[in-house]
Amino acid sequence: MSGSMTFVPDSRALICLAGTLLLALLAGCGPAEVVVQGNFPPPTMEKLPLTIGVWYDPGFANHEFFDEAKSKKESSWLVKSGEAQVQMWDTVLNGMFARVVPMTGQPGPGQMNPSVDAVLIPQIAELQYAIPAHTNVKVYEIWIRYHLQLVTTGGDPIADWTMPAYGKTPTAFLQSDQAAVNLAAVMALRDAGANFATTFARVPAVQAWLQQTLGTGQEASL
Amino acid sequence: MKPYNIPGALLLGGAIFLASGCVTSTVDQMVFNEPHEGIGNSTVVILGRRHASDYDTEPDFVECVGEHISSGDRSIEVIGELEFVNDFYPWFEPRTAPLQLADFERLVQRQPAVAEKMASLRTQYMIWIDGSTVRSDSSGSMTCAVGPGGGGCFGFGTWSSDSNYEATIWDFTEHAEVGKISTSATGQSYMPAVVIPIPIIAPVQGTACDGIGDQLLQFLSSQY
Repeated sequence: MSGSMTFVPDSRALICLAGTLLLALLAGCGPAEVVVQGNFPPPTMEKLPLTIGVWYDPGFANHEFFDEAKSKKESSWLVKSGEAQVQMWDTVLNGMFARVVPMTGQPGPGQMNPSVDAVLIPQIAELQYAIPAHTNVKVYEIWIRYHLQLVTTGGDPIADWTMPAYGKTPTAFLQSDQAAVNLAAVMALRDAGANFATTFARVPAVQAWLQQTLGTGQEASL
Repeated sequence: MKPYNIPGALLLGGAIFLASGCVTSTVDQMVFNEPHEGIGNSTVVILGRRHASDYDTEPDFVECVGEHISSGDRSIEVIGELEFVNDFYPWFEPRTAPLQLADFERLVQRQPAVAEKMASLRTQYMIWIDGSTVRSDSSGSMTCAVGPGGGGCFGFGTWSSDSNYEATIWDFTEHAEVGKISTSATGQSYMPAVVIPIPIIAPVQGTACDGIGDQLLQFLSSQY
């Protein structure tokens, strides 16, 4: 038994196909976009008996990093890390302090905010990334430099310091560039959390404030 | 009785031999205080060192060694690396992981939460694996083309791989470092291509995993 079948495409199918191809081509022209997503474990540590406030300014909570392509061979990159930043900092702070309270506005004179012992304001001072197309090394890397401020609810400074964080994806085998950059960003955020949790009480100005607030001995437990 | 198909078996054996490149491997070990009765209901955790700037111990190598041990002796409970690192966050991140047993013991004294979690996991041995597998000496060339009538490749490529790993065993009962096992493996892989590329891969990392896994199994298990 033999037979043949002829497929006659209708015009709607052709329009759909052309539209899909056009969208695919246009998508190829846009920047490579990464919305950083990951899970951040809570810290296993003794909590400091403090109520800490946290203020994420809109630039931090919606942080995104755009790097324009320098040549036609490269693609532009848009890394949106704001949501993951807030998720990581909330998790780490809740594991470090007895109580964490989000502030309703930036601490300052006249600003109504809940009463807390101090307010932490994390900010991203700088973010850099490297992918194999830049370095010819099979490693995806992210560097973040944070500017951290500890202030009173009235906005008076207690401590002001910078903190680096670094993450890399050792191999991108069977991963897209986007997935590898996401993983490097998650590693950088984990590193930021680890660095903050283990060095917070050792920042000289924070140490002095902890001694004054809690008395000697408590701050040494971190 | 069914007769053996000797030419077929020879062909299959030859194909298996050809499909994997040759690997040379050496293992050195120095261990003390072996648990001759096994580790009982204690657990073991195997972690990779990631503090060096130019290499990371591959997570899949650490997993391979863990699987080698737990499949060799089902009574040994090996805690997964990611599970352990997440449970003890932030103390085992590349930046914060203790480099010496004394550092870890200080951490346990300072952080009762860490001590409690260690006790709940019943971890007696922590094994740190440090090293990596690198590819070097690549040579040869290959050309691939695709046309309306089909495609294909032609050429020959070869490269060598070197694995170097060292496992350090910490014993929390003895409060001491009780052993070091090192392994190195080298192998040459080939990829001839006549229309279809045929990779003949030397299982260098797998050989290193088996080498270090066997020695750790001898140390930890009462059956070996």
